[in-house]
Formats: sequence, C-alpha cells, structure tokens
Amino acid sequence: MANAARLGNRVDAGLLIGCVVLSLVAVVLKQEDREPIAGALRRTIVAPLVGLQRGAERWRTAWASREQQQAVLDSLSLRAVNAAALKGENDHLRKLLGLGSRLQWGFVPAEALHNTAPGSEDLVTTLTLTAGSIAGIKKFSPVVAPEGLVGTIQTADPTMSIAILYTNPDFRASAVAADGTTFGIVYPHPDGGGGSDAYLLELRGVPTRSILRPGTVIYTSGLGGTFPRGITIGTVVQELKTAEVWTRTYLVRPAVAPSHITSVLVLMPQRVTQGTGNVWGAAVNADSASRRIVAAGDSVGRQAAALEAQARAAVLDSVRRATADSVRRLLGAVPVAPPGSAPATPTTQTAPAVRDTSAARRPATPRRDSTRPDTARIRPT
Amino acid sequence: MNWAGTARTIIVCALMIVLQYTLRPLLAWRASIDFLVIALLLGSVRMRPGAAAVYGFLLGLVADSLDTGGFGAAALAMSLVGFSASWLKAVFFADNLALNGFFLFLAKWVFDLIFLVAGRHAHGAELAMQIFVWSPLSAAVTAVAGVIVLSLLKPLMDVRTA
Repeated sequence: MANAARLGNRVDAGLLIGCVVLSLVAVVLKQEDREPIAGALRRTIVAPLVGLQRGAERWRTAWASREQQQAVLDSLSLRAVNAAALKGENDHLRKLLGLGSRLQWGFVPAEALHNTAPGSEDLVTTLTLTAGSIAGIKKFSPVVAPEGLVGTIQTADPTMSIAILYTNPDFRASAVAADGTTFGIVYPHPDGGGGSDAYLLELRGVPTRSILRPGTVIYTSGLGGTFPRGITIGTVVQELKTAEVWTRTYLVRPAVAPSHITSVLVLMPQRVTQGTGNVWGAAVNADSASRRIVAAGDSVGRQAAALEAQARAAVLDSVRRATADSVRRLLGAVPVAPPGSAPATPTTQTAPAVRDTSAARRPATPRRDSTRPDTARIRPT
Repeated sequence: MNWAGTARTIIVCALMIVLQYTLRPLLAWRASIDFLVIALLLGSVRMRPGAAAVYGFLLGLVADSLDTGGFGAAALAMSLVGFSASWLKAVFFADNLALNGFFLFLAKWVFDLIFLVAGRHAHGAELAMQIFVWSPLSAAVTAVAGVIVLSLLKPLMDVRTA
C-alpha cells in the first residue's frame, strides 16, 4: 500500500517534471520552431475555440459600433434641437439688431426674464428686464420688440426693472388704425380664454362711423405721450358686439407673442418725445407720404393729359391745313408748301404749327372793290 | 470519482473553456475573468496531481497557441498550478465558499506571476504594475466568478474532496 502510494507520488512527480520540462522547452524555442506547433494546434484542436472567439469579437464590435452610432444619433438629435432653438434666437436677435439700427438712438436693450416661480399664473403679464434706472429706464418707458409693442415699465430699479405687458389688466394704449383716421383705446381682452387667444386685445372707443376690416393693422397713436406714434400693436380680428351705441369695439390680435420674448428695447423719454418715425413700417406715418405720392401721381396725370390735348390739337391743325392746301391745289393755286418742306403729316408736337403763307399768297392784282389809284383823291401838297 | 462524476466534470470544464473564448472577449474587461483557471481548478481537485499537471499542461498549450508570444509560458504556469491545486485540495477545498474564492484568487495570481515572468511579457515597472495591480484585480474577478460558478453548479458537482 505504501509502495503503491510512493509509486503514485513518483509518477505524479514525473508527470509534473515532464510537463515542466516540455513547457520550458516550448518557452525557449525560437519563433520559427514554435510557430508550426502553435499553428497545428490552432488548425486542429483549438479551431472551434478560435471560431467562438471570432464570433464573440464580432458581437462585441457590433455592440460597440451600435453604441457609437446611437451616441452619434443622440448627439445629432440634440444638435438639431439646439439648432432650432438657436435659429429662433438668432432670428429674434437679428430683428432686434435691425430695430436698433433703425431707431439709431434713444433706447436701452435688455433681456427679458420670465417669471419661473412655481405656481405662477399661466398668463404672462409681467417681465423682469435686466436693465434699470442706471441705464436710463424710467417708469412708463415703452417696451418694444421688433414685432411691435410689448408693454411699459412699471418699476425701474437701479439694475433691473419690471415691465407690464399688454396682457396686464392695467395696460392701456391710445391707438390708431392704419388709415390714420380711426382712433381708439387698446385694452387687454378680458375673456381671452386659453392658448393663443389668451393674449388678445380690444380696441375700444372707435366711432360708429369708422368700420375696420379684419386684418387692419393697429398702431400707437402717440396721444397721451406714453407711447410714440407708429408702434405696431396688432391686427384687427373681428368686431365685438357690445352694448355701446356710439362706439365700436374690435378684437385685436397682438403682433408680439409674450411667451417668445427674450430680448426687448426700452425707449428713452427723449425718444418718446421726438417719435420713432417709420421704424415699424407704420402706414399711419406713411399715410401723408402716400397721399403726397397720389397727389404727385395726379399732377403727372394732369400734365400728361394736357400734353395729349396739345398734341391732339396740333394734329387737327395739321389735318385742317393739309385739307386746305389740297383744295387750293385742286383750284390751281400755288402749292402751299415751300420747296423742300416736308409734307404735312400728323404729329404729336405740342407746339402749334406755324404756317408759312407767304408762298401761297395770291399775286398782287388789283381788286375790283379796291380803291383805284387813279381815282384816289390826291391831296394837294 | 465514478463515470458520472467524471462526465459532469468534463462538461463543466468544457463549459468554462467555451466561456473563456465567448464571454471573455464579449466583456473585454481590462481585469478579465480567467475561465481557464477556473476550469483547471475544478478539474484538478478531482484528479491526481500528475494528471492535474498534464491537464494544466494541455490547457496551457491551448492558451499558448492563441498567444503571439511566450509560447509555453501558460503551459508551465498551468502545470504548476494544476499540480499544486490537486496536491493541496485536501487543505483548501472545503465547503467554505470564501475559502474556495481565496484559493481561486491565489491560483490566478500565481498563474499570472509565472506566465508573465516565464513568457517575458513585461519588464520593469510594467511588470510590477501587471503583477501588483492588474493581476490581483483579475484574480479577484476570477475568484468572484469562480465562487458564483461553484454556487450554481454545486448540485451538479457535489463531490466532496478527500
């Protein structure tokens, strides 16, 4: 029993030594000597394992590439979302830059911060602006956007200010229609409801005789001194039925969407006093100009008509003269037109034709009814 | 060990070898699980030391054939580890999973040590980093995986070592 155990131990030790020796031989073999052995193993016993490993590597590569593709897709989607937001902001800033360049002076740019406090009302009625009295902003300074009127300053702190929008119940603005003759007062529409209708306005106090069509643009009238003339307020949607008899009320859709306001301009008092001109392309400001254009067009038309009448008279005169000459020619008279002169043709010359009648004049023959020279009484000298 | 036990051991070892060439490349961890060492230990504790040395030698040759350099290093390391595992099975392989895990950790670390030194895969600081950082990490991961495998296959391989 003990011999068997010892024999077993010796066999085990022999096997270990043999394996170790073979391993060491394999280790010290040169590359060109070990490669045939390794290659033979790879082609026979290890071949299925190599296939398994290759498949696993492919799976991993596919998984990694799918993750990369997904990451690229996510990045592109995120960029697309950001690009849309940036494009909108860029457009708004470009418009604001354009408005600033048109105004040229008398305004303070400010960022509009919306109220993000939890539980704030759905209807945006106030904005916090990042410019205050240090920048020159005062109470009741108009707040405008490239699209039109936003509101007015309610509180001006040194470094920030609070503006009420046209949706605020305290907001009022004197307005005028694009024709420049229909005036009224703009109020917030109290029954705005939800969605986009929450920001509608009312144009009240319009005389009954004045009828505004839907789509008519409403501007600030400049009356009252708070807002300069010509800032776009909105467009007429429809007339509202009210109990008023002598005035009409119209529903107005504002030009500016409060939820989209990110940057605004605050007009300085000097600018309000001196007006903004035709910055918003107000037809109310262009009304007189258009009238002048129409008047100028009328004068041009009148001048054209006068010229045409003169030309027509000249033609008639030429025809009359040609007819008279033809008659005379038939009667054997001397040709009317002098040699080398052009035949009488209708012309559009405005100056009256000057006839040369010297050639067509009859020869100086004594007329019967004329006084004979011999019968003339000779006054003794 | 009867034939049924032998067959079960062969199946489990084959499963570990397959996992070595499927799951390990799929995971591609820096400190990876060495299923070959687990397969070596699972088989060695059920063999005589000499047979375990031969088994380790063959497993090492399989591993070496897919390695570009250091041919024979894995065979040498696995021969020694297999022989040692079979010789020390009475000491270490008990029902204690933590002890089994430590044994797996030690086997993997010794295997890496012999493999790196004999195969001259690294030198200097890189060798030290490999031995004292990555090898222990890999050994720990292998030990955890081995403990999990032992726990899952305990009903199948309920062979008490003598």
